[in-house]
Amino acid sequence: MLEQLRQWIKRRRSGLVSNMPPENLPNPKSPGDQLLSDCRLIVLDLETTGLHPNKDEVIAVGAVAITGGVIDLSDQFDLVLRRPELDITETVLIHGIGTEALTHGHETEDALLFLLEWMNGDPVLAYHSAFDQKFLEKTLKAQLGYTRSHTWMDVADLLPALIPDASTGGKGLDHWADFYGLEVSARHHAASDALATAELTLIALNKARKNGLKTLRELNDKLRYHRRLKNIHRM
Amino acid sequence: MAANQDNTRPQNTRSIMVFLQAHAPFSSMDDDHLAHFAEHSTLRFYADGDVVLSPDDGIVRRFYVVKQGRIRGERLNQKADKTETTFEISLGECFPLAAIVGERSTRTLHRAAGDTFCLSIEQDAFVTLFAESESFRDFCMRGVSSLLDQVNQRIQSGAMASMGSSTSLSTPLERYALRNPIVCSPDLPVRKAVARMHQNSVGSIVITDDSRHPTGIFTLRDLRTMIAEDTCTLDAPVRQIMTKDPCCLPAQADAFEAAMLMAEHHFAHLCVVDDEKRLIGMVSERDLFSLQRVDLVHLARTISTATHLRTLVSLRADVSRLVDAMLAHGADSGQVVKIITTLNDVTVRRVLELNIKKNNPGVPFTWLTFGSEGRQEQTLLTDQDNGILFKTPEGMTEDQVRERLLPFAKTVNDELAECGFTLCKGNIMASNPKLCLSDREWDDWFIRFIDASTPQNLVYSSIFLDMRSVFGPTDSLHELFEKVLTRIRKNELFQKMLAGNAFQRKPPLTMFRNFRYVSDGKKNSLDLKRQGLAPFVESVRVFALANGIERANTLERMDELVQKGIFDDKDANAWKDAYSLIQAIRMRSHQEMLNNGEELTNYINPDDLNPLDRRILRESFRQAQRLQQKLEITYQL
Repeated sequence: MLEQLRQWIKRRRSGLVSNMPPENLPNPKSPGDQLLSDCRLIVLDLETTGLHPNKDEVIAVGAVAITGGVIDLSDQFDLVLRRPELDITETVLIHGIGTEALTHGHETEDALLFLLEWMNGDPVLAYHSAFDQKFLEKTLKAQLGYTRSHTWMDVADLLPALIPDASTGGKGLDHWADFYGLEVSARHHAASDALATAELTLIALNKARKNGLKTLRELNDKLRYHRRLKNIHRM
Repeated sequence: MAANQDNTRPQNTRSIMVFLQAHAPFSSMDDDHLAHFAEHSTLRFYADGDVVLSPDDGIVRRFYVVKQGRIRGERLNQKADKTETTFEISLGECFPLAAIVGERSTRTLHRAAGDTFCLSIEQDAFVTLFAESESFRDFCMRGVSSLLDQVNQRIQSGAMASMGSSTSLSTPLERYALRNPIVCSPDLPVRKAVARMHQNSVGSIVITDDSRHPTGIFTLRDLRTMIAEDTCTLDAPVRQIMTKDPCCLPAQADAFEAAMLMAEHHFAHLCVVDDEKRLIGMVSERDLFSLQRVDLVHLARTISTATHLRTLVSLRADVSRLVDAMLAHGADSGQVVKIITTLNDVTVRRVLELNIKKNNPGVPFTWLTFGSEGRQEQTLLTDQDNGILFKTPEGMTEDQVRERLLPFAKTVNDELAECGFTLCKGNIMASNPKLCLSDREWDDWFIRFIDASTPQNLVYSSIFLDMRSVFGPTDSLHELFEKVLTRIRKNELFQKMLAGNAFQRKPPLTMFRNFRYVSDGKKNSLDLKRQGLAPFVESVRVFALANGIERANTLERMDELVQKGIFDDKDANAWKDAYSLIQAIRMRSHQEMLNNGEELTNYINPDDLNPLDRRILRESFRQAQRLQQKLEITYQL
């Protein structure tokens, strides 16, 4: 990923992708007949300064890609947008790349453009995805004026939809991680939480395959059905 | 650039590196190699029961590490028509080794036992690591050989040869640069034969007949004796003075066999012959050991010609040094225990010979050994377990014979104790009147032993049913043992009781595949002999006796059981390896204790072993469990 990012920045600086208009970014894909056994999914987690999208900011973005039902660790995204309150200039720290390597003043923009390119329009999964979706959409709009909507799927719904009989003792990421005995290397670190979420997604996808779900659409339908059921129960 | 090296890698890469570092072989690998692994890996999930790797998948293209959960290996037992678990792979362990190194498909179905995550790299990343990281390569090669891969054992012995440090004892004789033998006909005068040896500057000449079959050998040593004792003139034909029927081995025999034969008979030369017994070369003791400085033959000869007990006592230190050298040179434990046994036999024989010279009891007898010595499985820590078998001469009663033999046996037992063979606490020694018996009395003894299967008798079975003669005529023992075997074969109840007894000795693994430690207060220790080796020895004994196998050696018993179709040869190979590996770990720990001046024990703390040896040990114990399962099924225990 670092090499890709370096290359990308080099190209951008040399004007090859300069001022890429948002319409040239990859198109968001909708859940159709892509096979679960070979499509690519993004599993993402954000670290923020607080819980309110209106006033809080994104600190870090961590993401891994699931391709064909396995997590490919050569295809991951780990970015820290460090914004200490006292520091006026927004600085970006990307692992392996010093701030001096990025065009001064455009760090956040460059990083978010790269994120969009890396995501390649593939469906985005997150734990309690509504939260991540709001923050990311807000940030993309504020920094890049980017407003296209991506397909989001909530892993917090996906798990109970496919594994209804698991007695996790709660609905949080920690509950599921504990239930499956996952070791989370650094909880609340965006990349590490994204990996834990992705591991749970693998478990869910394994179950989906055994339930005969083959395509992304079938998975999405299952998810919607589960949400409707949940709402009926609530009423 | 970055102040902290760690910060240059993404969090998830770092966390995988931290995970890997806790396990062999990654714990001894460089960070760059670990990062290469982490960055090229995929993380995969398998639900309980999912197939991870199957023989039907074709050539293995990926290498896995268990990140969470467990994998079990399954093989179909065609006879029982059910699958058996052959191994288990747990947290931090790698698979498959043999298949990916050998670029073949796996032979075992790998299935997830419980929900399992594995890290996996593709073959090219594996090859990169294999080429660049020495510790990774060593691990893969060692791992493979310990997991019973013949091909790789060749690679290893090849590697040893190329290191130039030693020659592996399992090299076939034909691979040695065989000397072109100097030969002559039987009628050549001694003078001319010696001249021919001189011209070729060799120490021996082989006498052959017209079709090149060796009929005798004549050496410089023979010449020395001849002149000193004036037994023959230099003009006499060489056949008068040659040693007839020289020892021959086929070219396929290995160096170990040659060394054993030389040690037993104290020859320095052996003839190597082809399938039609025609001479094709000579091999000398020096050829076998020149590089190793392992002077086995010399040591055996010194022991067997020692004229005083104190010389014998002092030679025991040399035996220990020899074992040290052999272990260091990578001889396998089966070979080492046999060499120890051979040297022990030579010592016992010499003690007997010296005593006969001093104080001949005047009655022919056979000196028997039992237990581990009977099985030829002695290590440096050894008890005396011996007895006497005699044929009552005309005109004497059995008690009269005993009157003569018992004081003699008492002296021998005491002198053997001085040589380091600890006196047997259970008094299983030739000086015990109950174990100094005539052939008829032994036969009665065994009838009672087999018919009255008391608990005490079952304890004794591990001693008396592993029996061998060390000195004296062997035919009376053979006759006796044939009768014993026939009785055991006919007595299914006895077999079942033996099996039940063998089944009591459980390998030291808990249900959760951890080590089960001995319960007698010693913290975290395993008794490698009682908990590790005994389950193999005892189970194999039951099968061997029930199937009329006279041999006492556990490995040889297993070979014969394969020949008789009782054991599947893959199973037997796994069991033989597992048994040998436990024995090797035990002997290494003996050598260490000896070097530290500690008293020898069979206890080890598995925490002191390196992670790989720990895994090997655990896997070996699992093999013992499998062998016991076979016993359980066969005898419906």
